[in-house]
Amino acid sequence: MEPFEVLDHTADMGFRARGTTLEELFENAALALIHTALDASRAAAYAPRQLTAGGEAREELLVNWLNEVLYLLDAERFVPARFEAIWFDGDSVFAQIIGERRDDQRHPPRIVVKAATYHQLRVEEHNGQWEAEVCLDI
Amino acid sequence: MERIDEVRHRIPRNAQAGMKTDVLFFASDPILAHVRKDKALQQAMNVACLPGIVGPSLAMPDIHQGYGFPIGGVAAMDWRHGVVSPGGVGYDINCGVRLLRTNLEAGQVRVKLRELIDRIFADVPCGVGGQGHLKITEKQLNQVLEQGAPWMVEQGYGTLSDTLRCEERGCLREAAAGAVSARAKERGRPQIGTLGSGNHFLEIQYVERVEQPAAAGDFGLEEGQVVVLIHSGSRGLGHQVCTDFLSTMGAAMKRYGITLPDRQLACVPVQSPEGRSYLQAMRAAANFAWANRQAMLHFLRGSFAQVFGKRAQLDLVYDVCHNIAKREKHRWEGREVDVLVHRKGATRAFPPRHAEIPAEYRASGQPVLIPGSMGTASWVLAGRDGAMLESFGSVCHGAGRLLSRNAAKAGRDARQVQKELEARGILVRSETRDGIVEEVPEAYKDVDEVIDVVHRAGLAAKVARLRPLGVIKG
Repeated sequence: MEPFEVLDHTADMGFRARGTTLEELFENAALALIHTALDASRAAAYAPRQLTAGGEAREELLVNWLNEVLYLLDAERFVPARFEAIWFDGDSVFAQIIGERRDDQRHPPRIVVKAATYHQLRVEEHNGQWEAEVCLDI
Repeated sequence: MERIDEVRHRIPRNAQAGMKTDVLFFASDPILAHVRKDKALQQAMNVACLPGIVGPSLAMPDIHQGYGFPIGGVAAMDWRHGVVSPGGVGYDINCGVRLLRTNLEAGQVRVKLRELIDRIFADVPCGVGGQGHLKITEKQLNQVLEQGAPWMVEQGYGTLSDTLRCEERGCLREAAAGAVSARAKERGRPQIGTLGSGNHFLEIQYVERVEQPAAAGDFGLEEGQVVVLIHSGSRGLGHQVCTDFLSTMGAAMKRYGITLPDRQLACVPVQSPEGRSYLQAMRAAANFAWANRQAMLHFLRGSFAQVFGKRAQLDLVYDVCHNIAKREKHRWEGREVDVLVHRKGATRAFPPRHAEIPAEYRASGQPVLIPGSMGTASWVLAGRDGAMLESFGSVCHGAGRLLSRNAAKAGRDARQVQKELEARGILVRSETRDGIVEEVPEAYKDVDEVIDVVHRAGLAAKVARLRPLGVIKG
């Protein structure tokens, strides 16, 4: 099973992420977003970070989560090397991340992602298999 | 869909439950055939469901599928009883185009083109990684957000006449830095003075053909003259403003009893606290974008002076925004209406004699700047009376995408695309390889076909066609 695949959209870009648990789905969706923005293959597991997002419905939670990851990349200039733990509590998602400061030489940028959108958003579970589709504004 | 004439089509309001008005689509037959392939017209129908829409939901010939609103869509909302929708503005608030004229001819620039492109590439940061050359403090950022392009000029980045030739003179009043979240400021502050990626670009072009000599004369354009087009927006600051408000509007919509076919269309009453607050933040982000383009103009002047000496001049022709919501007065069905015009991938096109146009252009109409795709043509148009009658003073904003980014990339190599363009005399420099292949000319509709529709519909008139010499991309 591929953790994620890139989807077509005329103006923008999307991805389909999968996971055997909701935690894994959120991790793979975050990886898909990071992969779109830059090459994180050389990111070092150097400094720890915490990340949290809230949202009533699962779809909303996923969009808010992805926009938090984007904020981490774009504003805090931090590149995750690994998601050590992801857990849910009530309407919120929490993550323990390890990574390093963003450096264009070590993590070549691919494209500026403006946001994860609600457009054609889908989060579903079938027989213990989670799948989400997300459109990114480029 | 009903065909009205060769360039107009209508989807009547009874086509779908919930539509409060018709969709009016400006398109030729070939464009209609393309647009039917994606969901853009369905999105224009969804916009027709928004509360307080005045006149039809408008679809321009460059329309393509967006998220919620179609890109290339215009919707006027009643100022008192209508809604404001962040999705109707987009993530890149005040994404826009600025055209500069030089006193150089194509031949003079061609011989130094590589040097010029390299110089600009070094001087005007793309900022794909997220940072530029310009460092401003938090306090200065707050001033940028409320003062726009004039703030940049005050700091020595340009001249007063630059700001006079911007839509709104480069600053929307009633912007409030306080309405912009600390996160949006944090994300945007290091990015001021940067171009961005995606479809943003900076092109060295020349005037290939003048179609309307009087207007071209007013705009200071003549055949063979070199011009520069900058296409950029409000960077991470605007993106975050949109994200912030979309995430809180879901709950607010429930309070106002608004239900919509697509969450991305999220909207609140213009007069609600959330609506007012969004408009204050949106205007602040728009001012950031104008300051951003002004800083890039200043850097460019430096590049031209380096390569061509002090005799090289760069004057601003005009600066338009094509992702914005603005309060305007229009006449609709015989009465004056006070509306919030959402232009999502659409350009204001005010006709001759309109008070909002700089005095020197008032006889010709507002300059409308339409960037084509990388390596093809761009256009300068002039607003016409038809735009006031039919489209709330609006026209298209570009060629409009045809292929997805993946489809554009398939089987293409950045170096090969670069070589093909070079063979046609166009130099391309990009910070990323994907930046080149995703924006190949084949990924877009034919810009001439799009322009032809708005010209024939009487929304704007062709003034000059521009051809690229060099392209800089994120």
